[in-house]
Order: sequence, then C-alpha cells, then structure tokens
Amino acid sequence: MSLSGIPLDPQIKSEKEREGKGKIFYASTPSHAPIPLLGPYLSKIPILFLNGLAYLYVLFCLLIFVMPFGVTLWYSLLTRGRSPKLTLANYQYVFGSFLDSLLLSSRVSLVTLLFNFLIVIPAAYALVRYEFKGKRFVLTLLNVPLYSPAIILGIGLLLIYHFTYGLYNSFWGLCFGMIVGTFPLMLMPVMVALKDLDKVYEEAALCLGASPLYTFFKVTLPLIGPGISAGIILNFVIVWNEFLVTLFIAGPDYITAPLKVYNQILWFGYQNTTAALAATLQIISFLALMVYFKLFGSRFLKGRFF
Amino acid sequence: MKSGAQRIKQRCVPFVLLLPAVTLTVLFLVLPLFYLVMMSFTEGSSFFFEQKFTLDNYRELFSRYRAVIQTTVFLALASAIVDLLLGYPFAYFLYSRFPYKDLARALMIFPLFGGLYLAFGLYYLFLPKGVLSPLLERLGINVLSLLYSKSSVILGMAILTFPFMVANIMTALQNIDPILKEAALCLGASRFRIFSRITLPLTRSGMVAGFLMCFGWNLGAYEIPLFLGSQAEQQVVSIKMYQQALVMSNYGLSAALGMVVMVLSFSVTYLSLKFSKGALT
Repeated sequence: MSLSGIPLDPQIKSEKEREGKGKIFYASTPSHAPIPLLGPYLSKIPILFLNGLAYLYVLFCLLIFVMPFGVTLWYSLLTRGRSPKLTLANYQYVFGSFLDSLLLSSRVSLVTLLFNFLIVIPAAYALVRYEFKGKRFVLTLLNVPLYSPAIILGIGLLLIYHFTYGLYNSFWGLCFGMIVGTFPLMLMPVMVALKDLDKVYEEAALCLGASPLYTFFKVTLPLIGPGISAGIILNFVIVWNEFLVTLFIAGPDYITAPLKVYNQILWFGYQNTTAALAATLQIISFLALMVYFKLFGSRFLKGRFF
Repeated sequence: MKSGAQRIKQRCVPFVLLLPAVTLTVLFLVLPLFYLVMMSFTEGSSFFFEQKFTLDNYRELFSRYRAVIQTTVFLALASAIVDLLLGYPFAYFLYSRFPYKDLARALMIFPLFGGLYLAFGLYYLFLPKGVLSPLLERLGINVLSLLYSKSSVILGMAILTFPFMVANIMTALQNIDPILKEAALCLGASRFRIFSRITLPLTRSGMVAGFLMCFGWNLGAYEIPLFLGSQAEQQVVSIKMYQQALVMSNYGLSAALGMVVMVLSFSVTYLSLKFSKGALT
C-alpha cells in the first residue's frame, strides 16, 4: 500500500454490473429489497423510516468526504482580509509563482508514466504468457512496493540515495522513487487485459508469417490498449499527488506541487493562494479519475492471479 | 524439432522480459529496505564511514521513544476502530439501500488523493471561525478545542482510510450468496435475525481485513498528525523519523524507528491480505 493511496477501487459496482448480463435472475425477492417485517402493509412505515435513516447516513458520510475539498475550494475563491469577497485572483498564483512546481510535477509524472509503460508491458507479458519457475515469487516481489508504506519507501530511498547512489536532490532520483512505488499498480490492469485477451489472435498472426515482434506491436499491443490506458490514468493520479516519498527524497531543489502545498503551509500558514493550488491539484486528479471510470468502470481493478 | 540452443533461448525469454522490472525493484526497493535494516544497527550515521555496529538505537527506541510508539499505535488503532464503527453501516446501507452507487464511488475518491489535502481541508473546517463553526456551536461542540486535538487527528486518519474499510466490507457483502438470505426469509427469520446470523458472520473476514488495513496504513501517517494534532499528537513515529533523518542527521535512530513501522505494517498487511481474500488485489 505504498506511495499510493491506491485508488483501490472501493469496488462498488452498480446493480446492473453486479448481476451481470448473462446471469440467471432469481425469481424470488432480490436480496437487497426491503424484507417485510410483520406483513406487507403494516411494515411499510417502519421500513420507509429505516430506509430514510440509511439514506441520510450514507449521504452524511459522503458529505464528510467532500467537505474538506469543498472548503478548500471555497477558501481558494475568497480574498484575504476581514470581509472576504469572491475572486479568482488566487488562481493567478497557481499559474504564476506555483507554475514551476506544477511543471515539475507534470514532468515527473510524464517520465514516470513512460518508464512504467516500458517496464510493465514486457513484465506483464512474461508473467501471463510464459510458464517458468519462480513465477509466484517474482509476482510477489513485484508487488512488494504496493504493500510497503510510503514512509518506509521514503526513508529507505533517502538512506541509499544519500550514501550510495548519490541521487538525493536530483530529478532522476525523484522519478525512480515514483516508478518503483507505482509500477505494480500498472502491472495489475495490464495483466488483467492480457489474461482476457485470447491467444488465438497472436497465434493467427504468427501462422500467417508475422514475426513475434511484429505480432506484438500490431496485434497484442493495440488489443490490450484499454488495460494500458487504465494503468496510466491510475498511475498518473498517484504520482501527481504523491507527497510523503517526495518529502524524503526530493531535496530542496525539486519541489513538486504537493510538496509546494506542504512547504507553503509550513512557512506561511494557511493561505488562500495555497488553497487554490491544492484545489487545482485535486480537480485535475478528480477529472482524470472520472475519465477512468467513464472509460473502464472497475473492470481492471479486480482480478486475481493464480 | 527445435535445437537445444533454440530451446534455451526460448526459456530465457521471460527472464529477459522481466529483467527491467526486477532490476528496478531490487535496486530501489529491496536494497533500500536492506540498508534500512543494516543502518538501524549502526551508530548515528556511521554506516558508511566507520561502521560502528551497536544496539543503542533500539535501546533508545524502547526507552525514550516508547511513548512515541504508543501514541502512533494508539492513534492508528483508534482511527481503525472509528472506521469500523462508521464504515460497516455505511458499506451495508450503500450495498443494500443506496441507489446512487456511482455518485458514492465518485465522492469516495477524494480521501484517496492523500492526507495532505485532507488535512488542509479539515483545518479550514475545524477553524474556530470557519465554515462549520456556527453549526457545531449549535450542536454543543466546543469549537475552540476542535482543531489541534486528539479527536481531530483521529477523525482525519479515519476519513483517510475509510475507503479501504468500505472496499473490504463491500467485497465481503457481495460475496454472500443471496440464496442464503432467501432461504432464511422463507423459513421465517426476521430481518434482524438474518443480519445477525448470516450477514454479520459472513462479513467478519472483510471487517478484520479492513481493520488491519486501516491500522497498517495509519501507522505511517505523517501529515495529518502534523497539521491537525497538538504537540502530543505530533509525537508519532513518522514525524520523529523525518526529524531524526533530515534535521538531526541521526540516520541510525531514524532507521530504527522505520523498522518499527516496517515490521508492524508488513505483518499487519500480510494478515489483512490473508483475510481479505483478494478483495484488493
């Protein structure tokens, strides 16, 4: 559970998804319907009441989730001072003095995603399409970053960067820290996509005389495209918001956007301009995830191997 | 028939394909963790200069830093309990009654962006003259004691890990065979009985997995105690680690503190994966 607040999908599936299209529907009462208590008529009122309470509770919890973001957004739209007015002026700072951090964040995300792509695709291909000894072990090893807390990754990398690699306070050090923490999250959707892909297509291409490489680039890669883009979006959101590992390994010269938020709070307190930056970062991540859900639902988040 | 050389070549292919990923993991994860272990047994930052091996760090850990470890574990436990108490009904209602599941899924994303934004937002919420204060005052909550207190830290941590709990319980709920409930219904069991005899026992593993996951996750919490806690709540392992490593340059002690988190959270995660039965693979 590393770097990531892994958007381990809360796996909430809509009713339709859950039932599945080709499944048998039970003729009796579906399990989620209110179950009569004493008799269909007498019981109506308490059940309505209970349902109402349940609704309210769920809505209340959801409200609590959104409130911190909502308040941040609200403050980012206010001017400073005793009688705050609505303004967009704070966002000038986001694209003014905070722009460097945003650009650095984008650069780190871009490099990380590129490397993840290059690393994950061959690895996933090997893990799904080949049988070899020690496969389980390799898969476990590759998944360890997911389960090591960010702070452990941070301190470990800090020590080794400081004393051996000399990567502390460097762009590449930052990127490698991100890559190792996030590539398992990309591995998962790509492996699911490869598993779902029938071997027939590749075999057909091979039979028709295409070389293995040609087959891979012209047949396999396009067909697992959705899995790859799913992985990329997930990764983007995590790298974009990564803070704790960055705090340890970034050094003074590489202030990414979340680190900028942190530094601003530490040095200048809670400013509305910082709120604007935080709100912008959250909006970007939220939009990315909305695109993800629109395109893929939770298809690539489940899936067990072996 | 393939020749021997070709067969060997074929056999090498997966290993060549896996090489970059494995190299990366070894270089940037396995070795750093190994260093962490080694360094926790060396004095100060002597590991790379004179290599003075000592147990002093651990001695200090269990004398001066015992309170720190206790606070960390207490905060993580408390937030996991809050998660369980609030998360179970949430997951249950969401699963069985709430029709707008897509909306719920979309809104539950926000805590997953990280504790930093959450702490930032909660600070504004808890501010004595903030947005919520008139409402809270009417409810009889002392607005002045809200920010920088134990309760705000626990609440923040609980919100941060709430989605993990919900995900685990939801998976457990979805895995219950509806036939069981129907059978119970046909045999005349009441709603409460169905819940207590079927739903609750069958979701126990999900609850345990969620609890352990929340606990393990919050052991490494950094920004929420820092921004929402008072002096007492800021005495957690992660903040101490940061101070020892980057402010005091006492890498040995920092590594030893890291070992505590590592051992605790790896074991907890291992257990939770056993219980979650693939809820979050």
